[in-house]
Amino acid sequence: MLLSDRTTDVGVSPSPASPTAPPEATGWHGILRLNYGHTPTGTQIQHSYTQAPLRLQRPFYPEGPEVCQTVLVHTAGGMVGGDRLEVDLQLDAGARALLTTAAASKIYRSNGPEVQQQIQARVGPGACLEWFPQETIVFNQARYRQSQRIELAPGGQWMGWDINRLGRTAHGESLVSGEWRSRTEVWQAGKPLWIDRQWLPASAEIWASCHGLNHSPIVASFAWVGVAVDPELIQQIRQCWEACDRGNQETSQAGVSRLQKGLVCRYRGHSRAAAQRWFIQVWQLIRAHHWGTSPPRPRVWQQ
Amino acid sequence: MALLRLLQLASATLPVGAFSYSEGLETLVHSQQITDPQTLHHWLRQELSLGAIRIEAALMLRAYRASETQAWDQALDWNRWLSASRESEELRHQSWQMGRSLLRLLEKMDPPLPVPTDILQTLRQEECNFAIAFGLTAHHWNIPPDQALLGYLQSWATNLIAAAVKLIPLGQTAGQQLLFDLQPDLEQAVTVILDLPDDRLESCGWGLAIASMTHETQYSRLFRS
Repeated sequence: MLLSDRTTDVGVSPSPASPTAPPEATGWHGILRLNYGHTPTGTQIQHSYTQAPLRLQRPFYPEGPEVCQTVLVHTAGGMVGGDRLEVDLQLDAGARALLTTAAASKIYRSNGPEVQQQIQARVGPGACLEWFPQETIVFNQARYRQSQRIELAPGGQWMGWDINRLGRTAHGESLVSGEWRSRTEVWQAGKPLWIDRQWLPASAEIWASCHGLNHSPIVASFAWVGVAVDPELIQQIRQCWEACDRGNQETSQAGVSRLQKGLVCRYRGHSRAAAQRWFIQVWQLIRAHHWGTSPPRPRVWQQ
Repeated sequence: MALLRLLQLASATLPVGAFSYSEGLETLVHSQQITDPQTLHHWLRQELSLGAIRIEAALMLRAYRASETQAWDQALDWNRWLSASRESEELRHQSWQMGRSLLRLLEKMDPPLPVPTDILQTLRQEECNFAIAFGLTAHHWNIPPDQALLGYLQSWATNLIAAAVKLIPLGQTAGQQLLFDLQPDLEQAVTVILDLPDDRLESCGWGLAIASMTHETQYSRLFRS
């Protein structure tokens, strides 16, 4: 009953009479804490803790023991104002983990309180964290705040993407009211490597403006931080985009540029699939470039 | 005296090379997203209320305050923060080149910038953003902070309008009219930025990021950003 409440599109809180419903005022507080260690037999989850509605699927190793693939599940179907998710990740020296989610996240409209998602990660020396969740669907009138803070040890790396659908496009809806924030900060030895603080105080003007959304429901970013990037790789990533987007330049725009230690790709357009296809290629390109092998795509991305 | 110094610091003739940058406008004009004074005004207004220039100006003010309280480490921290938050490599290099030029100028002028030698050296090594150098200079020259902010934003707008006059192209009168019409937007931005807390250093950066990244590979270019 609770789950079906959440899967409706009206954005109401679950009934307080339900035995597992959260208190009305505070909402759900999902927690995930994971510690990945690097052992002689590869990367392993050494400690894990979850609190509903977050759950973890059994880790698997499609690439072999070095990279642990982990799928998060949000069991409530979507998030309403007041809900919070807290993710805390620790990768010990040499550990490599790829995290993704089983399904798209939905952020329902709110009459006031924000939905918050907070991710903290500490990436040890020589370790690499890859954070590739499925898209976030932000309903019109939603209020959403996502913050990620990653601390890299020397030689640590972080790769991540953030794919957003602004408004339920299937219902002809645009995000013209509400507020959306997505912040990512990557630090190393007390100094910032990348600070990205995106803010969208949604309005019809920003929706239509070429400075803002340019009538585009999909905005997406991909970043790789911790390693100096040569211009040749940037060139290859641009070529990938041109191949992905062939025949579609009218409605989608994308770019890539170097960070001080890393790179960032941006997409603004109409196709979640095109953005994700490009990002998967960029990920495979970076892996081939830096680790020498191009990985298979995780099964949850196949659809 | 403060007014004279502000006019000098905010002048288009300050030898920092601002005239060679369009901050993505060259791409936006080329792709016909900006075609006339109205669309240009819209872009500048969006930048002032939501964009990267708002953050830059807020960090200029933080460098000013750091100089005021001689909290030099904070000036270094904010400089790193700004370098890490630029939308593209091209914009980062623009900010660094102009910052480097201003610091070099100030070192040769009398009285010299009263920033400790080790701090200046770190700023040079790590590359000093223009907004940070501007804030340190504005305090050194005793320009009140609200006026320094207004001057910073006005010189930014003057420079971009001059770029657009060449790119679109527009007549000089249309450019001056736009600069005149932008006055309430500049004043409004100053009011907001003076009270902007650190937690609100955020921007709507999609348009600028994509324009600037696209400019990095634009085939034929008059401007360096």
